[in-house]
Amino acid sequence: MKTAIRKQMTINPVVMDLLNSQIALEMKASASYLAMASWCDQRELINSKSFFYKQAEEEREHAMKIFTFINDNGGAAISPSVENVNNDFESLRAIYETSLEQEINVTESIFKIFKTARKEDDFVTEVFLQWFISEQSEEEDTMRSIIDVFDLMEGMPLKMIDERLPKE
Amino acid sequence: MNVDVSVEYEIDLKEITFCKYELKTVNKRITLSFPQLLQLRNNVIQLTKPESLYDIIDTENFVLLFAADKQHLIYLDIPQLLNLRNTIDSFFYSFKSVSI
Repeated sequence: MKTAIRKQMTINPVVMDLLNSQIALEMKASASYLAMASWCDQRELINSKSFFYKQAEEEREHAMKIFTFINDNGGAAISPSVENVNNDFESLRAIYETSLEQEINVTESIFKIFKTARKEDDFVTEVFLQWFISEQSEEEDTMRSIIDVFDLMEGMPLKMIDERLPKE
Repeated sequence: MNVDVSVEYEIDLKEITFCKYELKTVNKRITLSFPQLLQLRNNVIQLTKPESLYDIIDTENFVLLFAADKQHLIYLDIPQLLNLRNTIDSFFYSFKSVSI
């Protein structure tokens, strides 16, 4: 990066913009998990509610990791506005399916930033994002495993399925 | 051919010192620190998104933009706003060396 701003910033400005969009995506995911936790909490689905409260916290932690990374590297992290959070769900299974879709979107978005960082020779961001790629792989695996439990226990009472789901 | 001829731009952005920048607009010169420059860049990017531009065209047809921690207010019509966006973009653009 051979511009005047290289003296102030370690990361590439285009990558910084994408990282700021990622913060918004993670915060939206956090808010979405909170809505799911509330749905489960109201229906006394104890394991699922704990799982989604934890997920909401984790997504916020991811956002904060990116937030501090941008500022630590001379950029400007933007606090996002979170709008249009869905609080209306049809079933517990639908909630987990939505969660998997959400995780896939987050993964794809991280891949996009990773590719851009590589294209722009932004090695600092590239290394930073490696943790997120492993983390997303784990998150997707967790969601898929839960959906498998629904397939295996099809027809069983919802409370019984919930008892066999992870709390975190 | 004299390549050192200075060209006067309507909107221009220059690095004055290590952490001071100067934005020249139609009627004022504004000194910016680097965080202020990043904030201005973000505001300009938001304002020049297609949906924001349509909104501006549909309403007042100009924008009032705060700069340097709200110490300055800049009046810009659409061409000037786009000009400012290009100026900031080229200031942040990473030039890569090309072997010929």
